[in-house]
Amino acid sequence: MFSMSDETNPLMMLVWILPIILFVFYGQHIQLLVTSGEIKKGIKKLDGFRTNSKKELIDYVQKSTSSNDDPTKKIEQFLDYFTIMPVDMDPNGIVDKVRHTVRSREEYTRNHVKSISPELSEIEISRIQTLLEIASSLQMIYKIVNHMFLTAKKQKNYPLILPVQMILPFLMEHATAMNAAIPAFKLGQPLGDGIGPMVVGKMMLNSEKEIISFQTSLAKVEYENRKLFLLKAEGPGSTVGRPDDALQKIVDNDKIDAVIMVDAALKMEGEDSASVARGFGAAIGGIGTEKFQIEHITTQNRIPIFSIVVKQSVKEAITLMTKEIADQADNVRSQVYEMILENTTEGQSVVVIGVGNTAGVPQ
Amino acid sequence: MIFSKKEIVLAYTVEKCPKCKKSSKRDFSETDVLFTLSSKCTFCDGITVIEKIFGEILQK
Repeated sequence: MFSMSDETNPLMMLVWILPIILFVFYGQHIQLLVTSGEIKKGIKKLDGFRTNSKKELIDYVQKSTSSNDDPTKKIEQFLDYFTIMPVDMDPNGIVDKVRHTVRSREEYTRNHVKSISPELSEIEISRIQTLLEIASSLQMIYKIVNHMFLTAKKQKNYPLILPVQMILPFLMEHATAMNAAIPAFKLGQPLGDGIGPMVVGKMMLNSEKEIISFQTSLAKVEYENRKLFLLKAEGPGSTVGRPDDALQKIVDNDKIDAVIMVDAALKMEGEDSASVARGFGAAIGGIGTEKFQIEHITTQNRIPIFSIVVKQSVKEAITLMTKEIADQADNVRSQVYEMILENTTEGQSVVVIGVGNTAGVPQ
Repeated sequence: MIFSKKEIVLAYTVEKCPKCKKSSKRDFSETDVLFTLSSKCTFCDGITVIEKIFGEILQK
C-alpha cells in the first residue's frame, strides 16, 4: 500500500476528498462557528459596558442624594423606556412630529430624574439625564446585537449573522466611546464636543447673559461696530440647549445679516484630529430637527450660514477633551472674529452659535 | 489582544494669570470649572483663571 504513488494512494485521496465533502455540506456551519466566536466576544464586551454604565449611574445618583432610598428600581424601570418614532409614509410635517416626540421624552426623563430626589441641582439633573441616556443606549445596543446573534444561531442561518458581523466594529466603536465617556460626565469635565461652547463661552465672559430659550444662554456684545448675538447651551451642566428656538427669537426681534456656527465634526479616517475647517451651511448634529429649523429660519430670512468645525473621532467627541482639541480654542476664536470681519460690514448683526454639549463649560 | 496596552486618561487643568499671562499645568481637581478663578499666581500677585481642562492618554 505504501509503495503506491500519491495519485493512487487511497489514503491520500481520502485526505483530499473528505475536507471537500465536509466543506460542501457543512461549510456554512463552520463559518457560523468561527463568526459566532468573534460576535460572542463583542456581546460579552457590550454586556460589560451596559452593566458598568448602570452601576456608575446608580453610584452617581446615590452620591448626589443624601436619601437612603435605593434608586436602583426606578433607574432599571427607566433603562427599558423606548421611543416610537412617528410614521414617515407621509413625510409632510414629520420634523414637527419628531421634535415633539423627542422633546416629550426629554421632558419626561427630566421630571423622572427630579422625582428621584428633590435636593438634586439642575447641573446634577442634567448629568444624571446624560448618564441615563448612555446606560439606556448601551442596553439597547446589547439587546439588538444579542437578539440578532441568537436568532441566527437558533435558525442556524449563516447569512443572518453577516450583517451583525459587518456592523459590529462600528457599534463597538460607539459603545466603547459611550462607556469611556461616563467618568467625564460624572466629574463635569469638558468633552471634545464642547469645543463650540468653549469658544463662544469665552467670548461671552464678562458680558450680561440671559436665558433666551430652554437651557440656552445669550449674550449681546459689540465687536468692531458690529452687533454680536452669542449663543450657547447654558453651562456647566450637560446639555446642548435649544439653539433653534433661540435663533427664532433673535430673528423675530432683530435683523440678522449672518449666522456663524462653531461645532465639532466627525473626522474621516486619515484626517488629523483637532484640525480646523471652515465651510457653509448649518454645522449641527443630532436627530436633525434643530438643523432643519435653523435652515428654515435662515432660508426664510435670507441669512447666510457660515461654519467652523474642529475634526475629531467619535470617542474624542464624547470623552474628556484632548489637549490637541483644547489647544485649538484660541485659534478657532480668532477665526470666528476673522469670519465676522470678512462677511459683514459695520452696523450689521451676527449670531454666533457654539454648538455641542456644554458639560463643564460655563459662559 | 495579549499585546494591547491598557490606556489610562489623566486629566489636567491649565491655569493662566490674566495679569502676567503665565500659564501652569496641574492635575485636575473635581472642583475645577473652566473660566473660573483658581489660585494665586506664583509669578505675580494676580489670581489665575482656569484656561483649559483636558485629558492625556497614558499607555501602560
